[in-house]
Amino acid sequence: MSHEYVPEIATDRDGNEHVVQGWQDDFYGGKLGFWLFMFTEVMMFGAMFLTLAYYNALHPQDFIEASAGLNRWLGGFNTVILLISALTMGLGLLKMRSGDVKGAKLMIIATIILAIIFLGVKAVEWTHEYEHGIFLGLPAMQGGHEDSMPFGKILFFGMYFTMTGLHGFHIIIGIGLMIWLLKRMNAGKVTPEHHILHWNIALYWDIVHLIWVFVFPYYYMIGAGVSVATGGHHGH
Amino acid sequence: MATKNVNYNEEKGLYYKVLFGLLLLTAVTFIQPHLFLAGSSFVPQMIIAVIKAYLIVIYYMHLKGEKLIISMVWFTLFLVTVFFIIIIGIDVANFQFGAESYITAPTAHH
Repeated sequence: MSHEYVPEIATDRDGNEHVVQGWQDDFYGGKLGFWLFMFTEVMMFGAMFLTLAYYNALHPQDFIEASAGLNRWLGGFNTVILLISALTMGLGLLKMRSGDVKGAKLMIIATIILAIIFLGVKAVEWTHEYEHGIFLGLPAMQGGHEDSMPFGKILFFGMYFTMTGLHGFHIIIGIGLMIWLLKRMNAGKVTPEHHILHWNIALYWDIVHLIWVFVFPYYYMIGAGVSVATGGHHGH
Repeated sequence: MATKNVNYNEEKGLYYKVLFGLLLLTAVTFIQPHLFLAGSSFVPQMIIAVIKAYLIVIYYMHLKGEKLIISMVWFTLFLVTVFFIIIIGIDVANFQFGAESYITAPTAHH
């Protein structure tokens, strides 16, 4: 049995044997440790949001105009996709806790499919932006170049590619974690009685969703009023 | 030891209710520029995001009733507010390095 606990024995200087306390079943400790990890994630993305807000304060008009140029419908579609994936992940954990391992696996597979759809839409968006000459390293995004955009827009799109790229990287890691979780479940090492791994990967997926909850409005929606006021969608 | 077993059919309703709330709030983010504060979407958009984040953290991330972790969240928010937003906000309000800055246009010295 994979979870059978073999106690470790320590011997003191008088030759007395003591059983070393094992922490393998410390569910709360496992959860607390993962929350500490998630605080580091919040700090990393928080520092990026802070940078974004700093740039925004220096170049408010450029930021609103750059935001108006993003495709809000694709961003909104991805928001809904992530939202539903958070539901499937949560229901998967609930199924696991209620003893339905097969149902939990199906929910995790559904989450993986939704995550792949998210990445596909993101790839379409980035491709459109690249075709419009907006991407890291292209002339439009290099200050001082004759084709360069206004300075605030360069900062906006620089942060946009950095943050959505890092977020997308987290999605890819999440897919890897879910595949690993499925393997552990198939091997009988994650069970309704021992599901801390499932619990923590579900938490990871929620933090990835949570970050998008702020990425989406800050990039896609702050310039929405401009498009409304001028009667249409701004192209790149 | 893991948490005690739960009844799937009894608890799934909450997940669907939260999903409905999050979808509703997402819809509000789209109609907000057409309905109110069209010229300054930033503040209403961020308020909606905070409400969505609250729903996710409390219900999907199971923080309801977790006093220790909730107090850690509040403490972290307090630190971020004081050191990052207030102190750096004062710096931004008095930006004085336009001439040698890499985050403002080379020609637009403040």
